[in-house]
Amino acid sequence: MSGRFSGATLAKSALAVAILGVLIVLPLAVFLAHSFYRMEDREIVRAFSFANYAELASNPAYRSVFVQTLWLALQVTFINTVVGWIVARAMWRRRQRLHFALILAVAVPLLLSYVIKIYAVRMFLGVNGLLNSTLTSLGIIDEPLGFLLFNMAAVRITLCVVLLPYSILPIFLTLERVPSRLVQAAEDLGASATQVFWTVLFPLALPGTAMATTLTFVFAAGDFLIPELVGGPNGFTLGRLIFTQFGLAYNWPFGAALAVLLVVVTLTAVVLGQRLAQPRWQRQNA
Amino acid sequence: MRKLKSIALAGLIVATLPAAAHSAGTVRIFTFEGYADEEWVGPFEASTGCQVNVTYTGSVDELFAKMIASKGADYDLISIDTSLFPQYIDKGLIVPFDAQNIPNLKNLLPEFADVAEVMAGESRFGIPIAWGSIGLIYDKAVFPEPPTSWNALWDPATASKAIVLDDANNNIVNTATLLGFEDPYNLSLEQFEQVKQKLIEQKRSILSYYAGFEDGVNVWESSGASLMFSMGESQVISLAERGYDVGYAIPQEGAIGWLDTWALSTGAQDVECAHQWVDYVLAGDVGPMMTTAHGYGNTTQSNDGLDYADRLNWLRPVESLEMRAQVWSEVKASQ
Repeated sequence: MSGRFSGATLAKSALAVAILGVLIVLPLAVFLAHSFYRMEDREIVRAFSFANYAELASNPAYRSVFVQTLWLALQVTFINTVVGWIVARAMWRRRQRLHFALILAVAVPLLLSYVIKIYAVRMFLGVNGLLNSTLTSLGIIDEPLGFLLFNMAAVRITLCVVLLPYSILPIFLTLERVPSRLVQAAEDLGASATQVFWTVLFPLALPGTAMATTLTFVFAAGDFLIPELVGGPNGFTLGRLIFTQFGLAYNWPFGAALAVLLVVVTLTAVVLGQRLAQPRWQRQNA
Repeated sequence: MRKLKSIALAGLIVATLPAAAHSAGTVRIFTFEGYADEEWVGPFEASTGCQVNVTYTGSVDELFAKMIASKGADYDLISIDTSLFPQYIDKGLIVPFDAQNIPNLKNLLPEFADVAEVMAGESRFGIPIAWGSIGLIYDKAVFPEPPTSWNALWDPATASKAIVLDDANNNIVNTATLLGFEDPYNLSLEQFEQVKQKLIEQKRSILSYYAGFEDGVNVWESSGASLMFSMGESQVISLAERGYDVGYAIPQEGAIGWLDTWALSTGAQDVECAHQWVDYVLAGDVGPMMTTAHGYGNTTQSNDGLDYADRLNWLRPVESLEMRAQVWSEVKASQ
């Protein structure tokens, strides 16, 4: 059997492992190591301790930032999965030309710069923004609404808007792969639209839904730029706290400990997503 | 054929390299907005052949974090205020200038020629370029009379329309002053705790934080603010340019005053261009150009109209910037 592995194959595998090791495993290991160091007189002291994790666990301010961030990410994930399904379902089985235009409309925002999208939402929600000026000129409100920006609600709205394509596209792509014969069969046997959805479409599009929720949750939990730019003083998140430790406070060890926490949360989400994508009945069938 | 072309191209690139490297040095500047404007960067590049590569910082905290992370290797020149010299020198992040190579030092006004904080014996670590304050900017329509106390940033009636700069030391010094602590640069642990609680209280009522001169003006615009713990006089001019009728107030408790300088990074690569830059900005008209554009006092020509220097609480070195960064990060994370 060993004859199957030629020298070239071995070399290629070794290269792949080396690239993964250098680009992914090594940086993560450095991160992990830093999370056990500490700061002393603004220098990083390379002495092993759990002090950063103890601080994280014992400081109520940091604990509540963590909980608040998880809650935010869950809300965004839920909203976007629902909206993503509605949009994907509406796009499904359209005529060829319309179909293409709709996919394009969803995908184009992905090509735009992240920062530009955030500024666009910020300009839209601001007191001089499009939303306020429209509402004022229509006479719906007398004074511009100030509470649309620089708080947690603004972070939630912006995350939902910016991350929406990551929900729509995976769901839509798995929907496309559902054989139309199955849907026709269900309809022929008298299933209502609701029944078709819950017994045929939704289960078969589960992998796409899982992908959508995982992506959205991971992006929402880790983002720092949106909270930083639209969150104001109270829309504070884990990502922003990590940014503060690296970019402003110069406390890399504590920032690294926070980042490790974020990686653990992210990996958990990915594992759960995998399970959701392959529910037990599907695994058994395979 | 294609191969031939690429060889020719490579030859061409190699041929032009030495010439380019010789004539164009580059000075990498890490600074606040307002000290390296196109108005004088352009003429400087034209007259010396040095390219200027400017990066802006949003806060004192960010500047230090980036300098210490790279041990200064990323920048040639930085702009820091006089209170920061002990820390930067102690950490080996800056080196002295060669005063012989800066003939225009003679242009410094007498009060800026021998600032003790930027000297270490005969070595000159800093070159004063501008001074100003961190006052309150207010919307004249909302405040017919200028606010008289920093309490305006806490009073719910006015604080709910206020924005505050995201900077550890300036917030802590200012709050300690408001709380009446004798030495806002040397706080006890108990005083730190009081400052922290006071800042958390403020956080609950204000509109937003901002980072950087331009960001402050943008946040003012999109949040509908009418009061700002400013980064300096420059923002009054920027807001006026955008059509806001704003005033600048130094409250009764006094305001932080700063004297900014150019300092030479330990990791400077083009020391020669760096010296040419500081010499250039000390020449005749750059100081007044900056005063006109940004409202700061300059250090080379007399500043008419800037009459509040005696009401400023000049920044001094603090007990521990690390402690201050920690307190500020906890304030921001608190609910």
